[in-house]
Amino acid sequence: MPPLDLKDIQGIILRGYGELDSASFLLLKFEDPRTAKGWLRTIDVRSSEARPSAADYCANIAFTPTGLLALGLPEDMLAMFSNEFLEGMSGTPHRRRILGDHGESDPERWLWGGPVNERVDVLLMLYASNDEALGSFVDTHVGMLTRQGMRVIVRLDTLTLPGRKEHFGFRDGIGQPDVDGYAAESSPGNRVAAGEFLFGHPNAYGQYTERPTVAGQRDPRGLLPLAPEDPTLHDFGMNGSYLVFRQLRQDVFGFWHYLARMAPAVYQGDPVCASVSAASKMVGRWPNGTPLVKSPHADPGDLSDDNDFLYVQSGDADGFRCAIGSHVRRCNPRDSLDPEPGSSRSLEVNSRHRIIRRGRAYGPAASASMRPEDVINSPDDGRDRGLHFICFNTQIGRQFEFIQHTWANGSRFEGLAEDDDPLIGDRGATSQTRGGTFTIQQDPVRKRLTGMPRFVHVRGGSYFFMPSIRAVKYLASLE
Amino acid sequence: MSHQEALTVLAEIPDDNVESLKHLLGNVRAHAGNWNVLPFAQLSKLHAAQLVVFDAATDLDGNELPARLALVMSVDAPLSQHLEELSSVCAAGMDTVFSHCTGYPAVSERSSASRRRFLEERSFKADALYINKRGRTVQQILQEDFLRREISAFLDSRNFSGLSALEIRREIVEFVRSRNDLSWALRPADPPTMRWRLQNALHGILFALVTIVFTPLLVIALPIFVFLLRHHEKREKPDTSAATAERLQALRNDEDYWVQNQMMALGCIKRGLFRRLTMRGLMGIADYATRHIYNRGSLSGLNTIHFARWVSFDDGRRMFFSSIYDGSVENYMNDFIDKAAWGVNGIFGNGDGFPPTAYLFGKGITDEKAYKRFLPTRLLATNVWYTAYPHLTTKNIANNEAIRRGLSFQMTALQTQEWLKRFGVGNRLPAGGWVARKIDGLPWDRICRRLT
Repeated sequence: MPPLDLKDIQGIILRGYGELDSASFLLLKFEDPRTAKGWLRTIDVRSSEARPSAADYCANIAFTPTGLLALGLPEDMLAMFSNEFLEGMSGTPHRRRILGDHGESDPERWLWGGPVNERVDVLLMLYASNDEALGSFVDTHVGMLTRQGMRVIVRLDTLTLPGRKEHFGFRDGIGQPDVDGYAAESSPGNRVAAGEFLFGHPNAYGQYTERPTVAGQRDPRGLLPLAPEDPTLHDFGMNGSYLVFRQLRQDVFGFWHYLARMAPAVYQGDPVCASVSAASKMVGRWPNGTPLVKSPHADPGDLSDDNDFLYVQSGDADGFRCAIGSHVRRCNPRDSLDPEPGSSRSLEVNSRHRIIRRGRAYGPAASASMRPEDVINSPDDGRDRGLHFICFNTQIGRQFEFIQHTWANGSRFEGLAEDDDPLIGDRGATSQTRGGTFTIQQDPVRKRLTGMPRFVHVRGGSYFFMPSIRAVKYLASLE
Repeated sequence: MSHQEALTVLAEIPDDNVESLKHLLGNVRAHAGNWNVLPFAQLSKLHAAQLVVFDAATDLDGNELPARLALVMSVDAPLSQHLEELSSVCAAGMDTVFSHCTGYPAVSERSSASRRRFLEERSFKADALYINKRGRTVQQILQEDFLRREISAFLDSRNFSGLSALEIRREIVEFVRSRNDLSWALRPADPPTMRWRLQNALHGILFALVTIVFTPLLVIALPIFVFLLRHHEKREKPDTSAATAERLQALRNDEDYWVQNQMMALGCIKRGLFRRLTMRGLMGIADYATRHIYNRGSLSGLNTIHFARWVSFDDGRRMFFSSIYDGSVENYMNDFIDKAAWGVNGIFGNGDGFPPTAYLFGKGITDEKAYKRFLPTRLLATNVWYTAYPHLTTKNIANNEAIRRGLSFQMTALQTQEWLKRFGVGNRLPAGGWVARKIDGLPWDRICRRLT
């Protein structure tokens, strides 16, 4: 695989900006698309070429189908995007069902992106080293874009919690795929074809995923690269990616209070220790990030980004260390899958269902200390907090939706019987798919946590397309 | 206990009745399992059922084909008893539905016998039939799921710390023994009848013998077959059209209400004698393989299929494929590509419009884009479907069965340990037979790549 053209790929996809602690996401609407094109021409979209320095400011941009149409992308080009993108995250009853967007998570009740909310055309992602720098960066942008035919529908602020943890208290964002042509393989089977995340490159089936391309005369200034599989076509999609955005509210008090009530039945010791042990079983890593496959009984304490392990080959086929239904094992089962768990074929199947995650937490920590005992011993403060979940992939149906539906919401994952993902599972819409049980496999016989309520609710969301830097220029040039 | 059989009825619908019948049947998203015209749950032998209207169509030669109603059922033997129940217990529903069809008995002539005759006269034998595991009745599947849930609740209710595996098992057995509604589980399930097992074994041996006898002939014919095959493969044009977004959405909106889903695909066999004969030969092999080789829970690496059948009709010019499987259609398609591309190519490659194959087994659906575009163009929107256990995967069923079996025989400490794991997760399927393991062990990916 030749190296990727980093100059053409928006920076957030490959870089993630771990150096920049502050970020804000602006959801925008075109009021006057013609004027807005002037804004689009001037905006400095950050590429993946260089790792940001600690004092950097980075901006990235993505569009919904309505945003692309408003800018003048012809309908026949738009139609070359996937159905998932065109129909939208909340667009069909089927999609709501498989994503688990029902009850409190019903798109009709969303804060943005749902059928009753104002239309979103653009996602502008702004990053800076601290809140002060970000504040002025956001102000500058808001000033520019409101003068140039755009309006801010929603501003979503974020924060970086100590230890890069999410609100439940677990270090997040560790298990990322190694993108072929960009990163060396960090653990066996973790290298994934670039085409799974970037259009215009071979995907995990060795194919070029469908995306908009256009005959040469419709790109008279030659802004777009040539499509590798058919050089008569100019490739609008190349080096772009689908961005999945879901605002996930985390019920942190509900989570720890449930555990404090239930965990003492499955773990001995004081309720706090039992809760942390049970919660770590549910996650598959200890709060500091250490994988349970490597340290099944105790948290070694130091922050860890250890991702170098498998399940079956690491001797945990039965889930005695990392539970079969734990969050990390479900969302990336590595070598656990049929056929032949533990084999390279199993890893190959797994590599067709990977995503790059770039989410950021939002809302105040449930306790300043981030210690479970402080949450357990306090009443629910009723504040909104959670994760602005963001991921990149090129086949939403085979990647993001598959993971959420088949692996996370699926109450029968890998031979389980009533369990859905203990963290992000939707607990089912019907009595047949209920979930809400978490099984701790162990010798001689398993233990279970039952009656688990839903801890993560969807408050908004949308599918976006994040174009390449060249495709942004092409969009700005459209008549 | 008994083995399982397939009932497939194709009844013609006069043009004037098609719309009213469709209206009566509705669609899956509208009734999502609550369609009560035919009270399926009252049929004691029924595992799964589909009702689908095949619209009137023209075949590849331009011949008019009438609209038909397909009734597709998977049942416990004997089939005659199921037909009896269907014609009596479901009499009113049968009349309501099938009175739309040509040849249904007039009101004055309706009886359980005449209804049954109507079905029998229009029933088709499946060219090939896959049953996840033969010999597991619907009653057994439901009972054993109840058993697992009850034992699970028992395990939740007690603290077993300090007990050994053998002691825990003893407690479980005692619990089951103490419950009148569970004590059946202490006996192993009855196997299918001796007669059926003998017949089945005889079928397996005879077919193998005949094959051996004809092997020299087959070897001689092989180069000719390959020559003809390549000639056809190079000449045939795949269908590169795509289903409309609305159609795709309608199909999708019928899916994923439960852990099980269903599929009904309908297409024409490619034109010409060569393809028809090839299809017939492959169907013979497939039928043999599903009966004798892939009969322990896995169809060439796919372990999510409960029932599948291929049925040809219209003098072998058209064929439908029906399947009841676990998980989403996205999962199903990827499973096909990832695990059984060669098998899918071999069979469906004879279908009109299929992505081009190479030497029968190569290429074809390994072209993910072409396959995912093609399949929906041949899918039908099923009007009604029913499964007696929509919440159970094949793995769940196999695990429940193994739990029950484990209650009734003496175990070593090691066996007990393995058995107790089944209450934690049930992902261990019985190993395939020797032949299945050998076939699945072939490096199909490499072979298929070579073939392209």
